[in-house]
Amino acid sequence: MRKFILPLIQRREIGLIILIVLLTGVTAYINPSFLAVSNLMQILNNCAPVALISCGVMLVIVTAEIDISVGSLTGLLSAFIALLMSREQLGWNPFLVMLIILFLGALMGTVTGLLVTIGKVPSIIVTLGLLTALRGAAIKVLGGKTIKDYPESFRYLGTESLLGVPISVWIAIAAIAFTAWLIRWTRLGRRLYALGSNPQSAILLGLNERALKCFTFAFTGFLTAVATILIVAKLGNVEAAIGKGDELLIVTCVVVGGVSISGGRGQLAGVMLAVFLMVMIRTNLTYLQLGPEATKWERAIQGLFILAAVILDHVASHAKPAESEA
Amino acid sequence: MNLIKTFQKYMRQEWLLLILLGVLLLVAMGFEPNFLKAKSQLKLSENIWELAILCLPMTLIIITGGIDLSIGSTMALATVAFGMGFEANWPLWACALAALLASLAAGAVNGALIAGIKVHPLIVTLATLAAYRGIAEGLSKGFSVSPLPESFQALSGSFLGAPIAAWIFIVLAIVFYLFLAHTPWGRFCHAIGHNEQVCRFSGAPTSKIIFSLYVVSAGLAGIAALLYSARRNTANPEAGYNMELDVITAVVIGGTSIYGGRGTIYGTLIGIVLIHEMREFFNWRWSSDELNLIVVGSLLIGSVLFYQLMAPKGKETK
Amino acid sequence: MSTLVEINNIDKRFGGVHALKAVTFTIDTGEIHSLCGENGAGKSTLIKILCGAYIPNEGSITIDGRELPYGNVPGVGQLGVAVIHQESTAFLDLNAIDNVFIGRELRTSWGALNRKAMARETRELLARLQESLDIYKPLSQMTVAQRQMVTMARALAQKCKLLIMDEPTASLSKRETDVLFDNIARLKAGGVSILYVSHRMEEIFQLSDRVTVFRDGEHVGTEPIGNVDTQKVIQMMVGREVAEFTKRHEHKAHQGATALALDNLTSRPAFENISFEVKAGEIVGMAGLVGSGRSEIARAVFGIDNYQSGVIRVLGKAQRKGNVRDAMAAGIAMVPEDRQHEGLLLPLTVSANISMAVLQNLLCGPFLSKKKEGALAQEYIEELSIRTGSAHAVTSTLSGGNQQKVVIGKWLATQPRILILDEPTRGVDVGAKAEMYRIIRELAEKGVAIWVISSDMPEILHISDRILVMCEGRLKGELEGKSATQEDVMRLALPDLSEEGAILA
Repeated sequence: MRKFILPLIQRREIGLIILIVLLTGVTAYINPSFLAVSNLMQILNNCAPVALISCGVMLVIVTAEIDISVGSLTGLLSAFIALLMSREQLGWNPFLVMLIILFLGALMGTVTGLLVTIGKVPSIIVTLGLLTALRGAAIKVLGGKTIKDYPESFRYLGTESLLGVPISVWIAIAAIAFTAWLIRWTRLGRRLYALGSNPQSAILLGLNERALKCFTFAFTGFLTAVATILIVAKLGNVEAAIGKGDELLIVTCVVVGGVSISGGRGQLAGVMLAVFLMVMIRTNLTYLQLGPEATKWERAIQGLFILAAVILDHVASHAKPAESEA
Repeated sequence: MNLIKTFQKYMRQEWLLLILLGVLLLVAMGFEPNFLKAKSQLKLSENIWELAILCLPMTLIIITGGIDLSIGSTMALATVAFGMGFEANWPLWACALAALLASLAAGAVNGALIAGIKVHPLIVTLATLAAYRGIAEGLSKGFSVSPLPESFQALSGSFLGAPIAAWIFIVLAIVFYLFLAHTPWGRFCHAIGHNEQVCRFSGAPTSKIIFSLYVVSAGLAGIAALLYSARRNTANPEAGYNMELDVITAVVIGGTSIYGGRGTIYGTLIGIVLIHEMREFFNWRWSSDELNLIVVGSLLIGSVLFYQLMAPKGKETK
Repeated sequence: MSTLVEINNIDKRFGGVHALKAVTFTIDTGEIHSLCGENGAGKSTLIKILCGAYIPNEGSITIDGRELPYGNVPGVGQLGVAVIHQESTAFLDLNAIDNVFIGRELRTSWGALNRKAMARETRELLARLQESLDIYKPLSQMTVAQRQMVTMARALAQKCKLLIMDEPTASLSKRETDVLFDNIARLKAGGVSILYVSHRMEEIFQLSDRVTVFRDGEHVGTEPIGNVDTQKVIQMMVGREVAEFTKRHEHKAHQGATALALDNLTSRPAFENISFEVKAGEIVGMAGLVGSGRSEIARAVFGIDNYQSGVIRVLGKAQRKGNVRDAMAAGIAMVPEDRQHEGLLLPLTVSANISMAVLQNLLCGPFLSKKKEGALAQEYIEELSIRTGSAHAVTSTLSGGNQQKVVIGKWLATQPRILILDEPTRGVDVGAKAEMYRIIRELAEKGVAIWVISSDMPEILHISDRILVMCEGRLKGELEGKSATQEDVMRLALPDLSEEGAILA
């Protein structure tokens, strides 16, 4: 029995589910309207962009690299959407603009990957530089304006539902399913883990380090572009601050979700649960009816929660070897 | 081919940066003759000192293979502590003390988690980056305290022709230089960056050193917060926003390896000056903030890229 | 027997270093071929060429008549060459299946991974090695020996014709080594050729059909194992007669007071009720299988790890638990087992490494004195005859033996009364070993209490005044250094006497 339960407890996913259930219970006790289906859909809708980008960043971290430029990339890409698609601006065909944005996202990711692999610049440096530079570029493109007025056909992506579930959630589900398939059922996925686990041996076995790493960055860039499209379609207006601070939220989700920052370890399910938990904390604060004061404490609660999660995680993962030896 | 080899042999990132700085200043002089005049430089230097002060402990922390992302938020925390004291009509010295204590406490939490229970510094300070800023916002309810008394604003004044902040920085820079290059603990900082275990097995108090670095970093963030508030004549929870990125950029441009083990204080000084001059020049000529962001970001990537491509193979290892 | 591998005039240079000089020899099909040589003799270079990591400057290598695709690791793999490296090259975060198949995964007709087939095949391969482990468990949760079995399964899966093993027993216990040897024999019977690289003479003589010796990048000779003995092989390796190794060390017992005393030291599950003494001027050897708790005791004594109960006394004074600085202040020094990760900072200079533990003695005011540091480094470079360009040379440029001397110098600088040496000659070549023994003896004569932990049986017998034998966390017995034999030590070191018959035979 003990042999059966221990591994279960040690699995990150179980801990996260327990936390989610607890949080749901407490919130629903204080405010029963929290349990409405529409509210769940709202939370899922808020999760969608974060989940999308997390899929990519997770793979980057699995190969022992990091990408903290995704928030600024969101900013720059949304600025391009505004410039090209808004009827106040160029007013191009939304479909064409989306293709261009997806291409640009993947391209930007590839450039990051090339700088890391061929340029041999540490990824934390490259993406830190891009974090700054891309945000600057976004401000430059927008010139301080807030750009509105997008075609309805485009806005549907962020506002409409299909079978009662928001379209953006469907898109996120598709991306998550694809990533899960990639990790479990393709050579590429297994090789990413091998590369993160032991880079020297991986290279000695003839795995193509550059191609693998470039792929993870390009994939992240592409998913960031998808997320940006969903964000803009939902908001209906673009200003330069879109996506600010998202990189920290996403890296936090990935780490809380059980992906080792030193590479090679971590499950997609854990990351997705962590995304759900983090977004739920943000949403729940309004349902807890703590009054207007509480919103000021929102970031503090989020931050302290992250801190607690990190410490608990560390303590739990370091208790493991001792237990397995005994 | 020979040229490149000779180049590699004598090339250090510091030299490269000095050349870059020289070129920039020459160009600047060509475009804007007034830019380089002492008076304008002094005026422009006003808002560099907080950043410069924070670069010093960050250099040490990165040399040990760590990182502190929470300094900007720690500044906010200190500022808010100061503002709250002020609102409660505490004497000025007590407000300042409150600010320092708040920042030291923040640093102690970072240090305890990193040196004590050995959580990865990137993760710890990423978490406290959010937590400290959040607490600052919560405590202040988002409001700033302004104006501050004249006597406090004196902190942004001058002494012997240079801003007080500059004197503080100069003294600190000398102390940090001597510490890093000429004391056992400074030697241990490099050693920890290479391999903490060897250091510990050699009897070095590694945990104590690492803990102290994060506390000092936060303490200086507290001092920077006071300087910032005095200069802006306001204590608000937005203080130090994104400061950590600027600081890390300056330190890394100055040749400190993000993997630890390599770095110098004079390299960091050059990094600070380079970033500062570049920024101010772009501001002066095009008065555009966003251009700055682009330039600083590209400079960070470009300088490391250039160094990596030029450096002899295998010099930079993980 | 037919020839499988033909190595013809292989030459390899790295800048100014001539690593391999026109090496020529052959490996037969189904042969166990040992490769010996001191560190730096060119063994690793040859292995790296054979596995496709390096490209030779001249010469050719053919396998089954086909030329090796130099510098192409996967290509070499396809030709049937597999390597088990000295350091673990396994992916610790991945399970056995992934470890066996990464880089050449099986796929279904529509391109996805064929996980079922891979699992089945992994089980079969491990069964061939008589190993039954949980193939879904990450390797990080397995023992070193189990990981090695997985690596061997990988080699088998590649249908390899030539298996290169680089010091595979370095961190295995005796029993695990025997299992490994059984498997090597099984592979050989299956027609696989094995190129076996080891420093351990007894293994080479136990296993191989032929032995090839390298010295300074040159091929000294290839002999059938029956034509040579240990003396001869060592002589070929070093190019001179080495009498050191058979002669028992005659120690003049001018031993002083008890320097270090352990009283019922316990830290479950690593070790239990350990009591012994080391006197000033005495060399105490500690033998035992890997994992018998020897290094753990040393770490506890040096204050790195905590322990549950018992007392450590230095010159009669009880020590505080778990504090390296206290241990150092009491005069204890420890040369750790893992030179690269625990002993040295390879990117720093020799002088920085030597002064590492005594920086507080090199102060001038609050600052470090470069002059004092340089003088200290010079002193130990001369005393230990460390071969280095200068005190400011980067430590990673030194040979293994000289690096080890730097670690010893670092600890001698603390003027220790008690010196603990954990595997002092691992990865050190024969010449440097002899020098190391000389240094240890001289220290003992100066009155330093010395405690040597070693898995190298001849070394323990050669150097110790007294031999302590550990077994499964307990001190099983004590032997007189002069009269003990390998069999005596082995009998105490083995956990269960009823199972030992086969091993000693």
